[in-house]
Amino acid sequence: MKLPYIGRRLLQVAPTVSGVLLLTFILIHIAPGDPIQALASGNGDEDYYAFMRHKFGLDQPLINQLGTYVGNILRGDLGTSYITGQSVSTTIGERLGATLLLTGTAIIVSSIIGIGLAVVASLRSDGALDHATNAASLILYASPVFWIAQLVLLFLSLRLGWFPVQGMNSAGLDAGVFGTVIDTAWHLALPAGVLAIQEVAVVARLMRSGIREELGQDYIRTARAKGASESQVVVRHALRSALLPVVTVIGNRIGNIFSGAMVVELIFGWPGLGQLILSSSQTRDTPVLLGIFLLVAFTVVLSNLITDLSYAWIDPRIRLK
Amino acid sequence: MKNRLKHLFLACAIVIGVTGLTGQVHAATTEPTAPCTKLGATETGPKKLKLVCAEISENKIWVPLGGDLVVAIPQDPGQLNPATTTSGAVHTASEMVYNGLVGLDDRLNPMPDLAESWTVNKKATVYTFKLRKGVKWHDGQPFTSADVKYSFDEVLLKYHSRTRASMLGAIDSITTPNPLTVVFKFKEPYAPLLLQLDVTEAPIVAKHIYDGTDPTKNPRNLSPVGTGPFKFGSYKTGSEIVLEKNKNYFKKGEPYLDRVIMRVIPNANTQVIAFETGEVDFLWGIPGPDRARLLTKKKVNYLVTRRNPGGANCMMTISFNLQKPILANFNVRKGIFQALDRNAFLKNILFNEGSVPVSPFSKGIAWAWGRKLDLPKYDAKAANSLLDSAGWTGRDGSIRTARGVYGVADGTKLSIDFLHFPTFSAYAELYKAQLKEVGIDVRLRPLESGPFSTAVFTKRDFDTNIISYCNGTDPEIGIRRMYDSKQIGPVAFSNAAGYSNATVDSLFQSARNTLDLNKRQVLYQKIQEDLVRDLPYVWLVESAGTRAFTADCGGFKPYGLFAETAYCQK
Repeated sequence: MKLPYIGRRLLQVAPTVSGVLLLTFILIHIAPGDPIQALASGNGDEDYYAFMRHKFGLDQPLINQLGTYVGNILRGDLGTSYITGQSVSTTIGERLGATLLLTGTAIIVSSIIGIGLAVVASLRSDGALDHATNAASLILYASPVFWIAQLVLLFLSLRLGWFPVQGMNSAGLDAGVFGTVIDTAWHLALPAGVLAIQEVAVVARLMRSGIREELGQDYIRTARAKGASESQVVVRHALRSALLPVVTVIGNRIGNIFSGAMVVELIFGWPGLGQLILSSSQTRDTPVLLGIFLLVAFTVVLSNLITDLSYAWIDPRIRLK
Repeated sequence: MKNRLKHLFLACAIVIGVTGLTGQVHAATTEPTAPCTKLGATETGPKKLKLVCAEISENKIWVPLGGDLVVAIPQDPGQLNPATTTSGAVHTASEMVYNGLVGLDDRLNPMPDLAESWTVNKKATVYTFKLRKGVKWHDGQPFTSADVKYSFDEVLLKYHSRTRASMLGAIDSITTPNPLTVVFKFKEPYAPLLLQLDVTEAPIVAKHIYDGTDPTKNPRNLSPVGTGPFKFGSYKTGSEIVLEKNKNYFKKGEPYLDRVIMRVIPNANTQVIAFETGEVDFLWGIPGPDRARLLTKKKVNYLVTRRNPGGANCMMTISFNLQKPILANFNVRKGIFQALDRNAFLKNILFNEGSVPVSPFSKGIAWAWGRKLDLPKYDAKAANSLLDSAGWTGRDGSIRTARGVYGVADGTKLSIDFLHFPTFSAYAELYKAQLKEVGIDVRLRPLESGPFSTAVFTKRDFDTNIISYCNGTDPEIGIRRMYDSKQIGPVAFSNAAGYSNATVDSLFQSARNTLDLNKRQVLYQKIQEDLVRDLPYVWLVESAGTRAFTADCGGFKPYGLFAETAYCQK
């Protein structure tokens, strides 16, 4: 029953992704500027520009360039970076790990903390913790990531010296596997924390209101009547139902987290895709940009699919057709 | 056992280090004749390092040997072959792996690098270079004249935009009569060559690595092989580049550092914080607002220089679009020039890091800048009467309107646009405010570099704009493009004003063909006198770069092989 559904959803991926690809291809090409300017950085004569344009095939009509690009994509070749001369898949692959580590940590940490906070707050409805969680999540949700990041840097790194300021590892690190893991975790703490903060706010608020709503339902009264303790009522019964919208939100926020990661990566010098997007758009490195957009489009479409699937898994009442 | 030896060695090193500090060292660490007296490092860290006597900028001082230098770079370079591009990011990260044929000293005089000597024929058409003997590439292969010929023919004259633009049309042939001799022959007299052979303009790459490949795509661009003071260690993209000491460097005894680690830190604020916490030892520049705060710190030293990885002797320059009827009028241009208080730009935007130009050419090209030129002075009254006389009239405080201005309908408001990079918005705000004082309305158009170049050079859709024109080490490299009528066209950062003057064109050509510096100076003086008569640009401020480094380190050069003689005691 489920397989055809997945099949149909997967079929939708192709047109969505090609639409995104076509749109970005056109957008990048109608935007002024070209990669030769970045290579020459304000120098060179007409002859140099003509020579380099020809070398990269930029002197071809746009439709031919698109044709060549699509042909290469179908063969699984994302092309070659104008700036580095390396293949795009290698270039992106080198940065993907760092971004996945950062966003993955942020998603997991924020989901756990956000849900945990909501549950604890629900146990003591209208208690001090409940109000504090509410107020804090409002403030955090309204604060821009770059601002929080700067404050955290100034306070925790510069003033207290607890965390490193930037990078994924210490300079010139040579510490073996275990040492590297510890060093990475130490460097990860601030950027992942900053990225997670807003997600915590979103998740906690949504979860809290969800649980509150569920607690008024008949089946909760039944559970209480059966003699279940308050924590059992909240965790076993209300939590499970209230989780549904939260899962949707976490899934749909993958795109947000990616864009938040861009800012966080720049501020903390984290060597991920966000940095790569910025430098590639500055240098008009079209193949790399298109490669990243392709990847992000895939990720967002797939994460939506996974969200829908987990929906059915969490709530047996839902049938995917 | 090993550990004990290590401790013993450390103890010795400490003793040597301490005696070095008290100035009692005679023959312990270096040849007895070295007349070193002063200690280079002003701070002493926990790790005592062995001292050697070094000659740095003509001073002989004791410097510690070994240690790491951590440098912040704003952008991941992507690749490490400086011969294939003029991108500042690539050059900053990779130049220390390479050498040029001829270096440039602090005053831009040519000095031996890979070439130990050279001769030029009287007509300046044939340059013969004698190469240093016994130089080896980092992989152990010998360096020969074939590498030089290959570097120029197959890499520099194709892909290095400046070298290609200035030399490709002029050069006749490059020949290698023997492994240690290279001869450059030009079609016509070519004067600037010795100033464009350093590691920035013409880094020499290894033929055995690149021969038969596309040099822009060779995988070794990510693990480069050069002859320079540091060899490639590792490259984690987006994160860091580690360069290691080249123990067989042809300049004996150099470099002093064990490693140079370049950290990619895109955000300028983060760079400063990392510098303050000690994660980073060296910054290429400091954002204006942070300067005052950092300057009060005792543990920070500075090197102020006109030379940058992107080019030397940079001047913030306002271009007038001479094709626009408003700005075609000399009195309007001179009025704007006199309405601008250039000292205010220097003080408020550059925090006095630089100078107000006294001639169209940068003062950094010591022999070429124009003497005794009468650049218009800041004088709002004079500016007002110039604008009045040009037909732009208006009551005090309001925007001027046209009356009888050629090509402009009567009653048109005096409103011009100003294109600028977003990073130059402080200049834009001040420009707008100062011109408002004389009744000119300025519409600001901030544009990123791509759209900016298209608007200015391709579409010529602008009234005024601001560009940081790096004048380079020779007028032929970075100045001629601003005034040569053949360079009005779609190439970025060429003749933005659209200035066309046949006399100036031919004077530039003669100067290029003249070897004698005194004679060239006369030609450039004449050019600059013409330019001041025409005012196609406002030569606003000459910007300098500030390198900041912790007081534990020293011995830096302004650019290129910047850490060749650097040392750190941490």
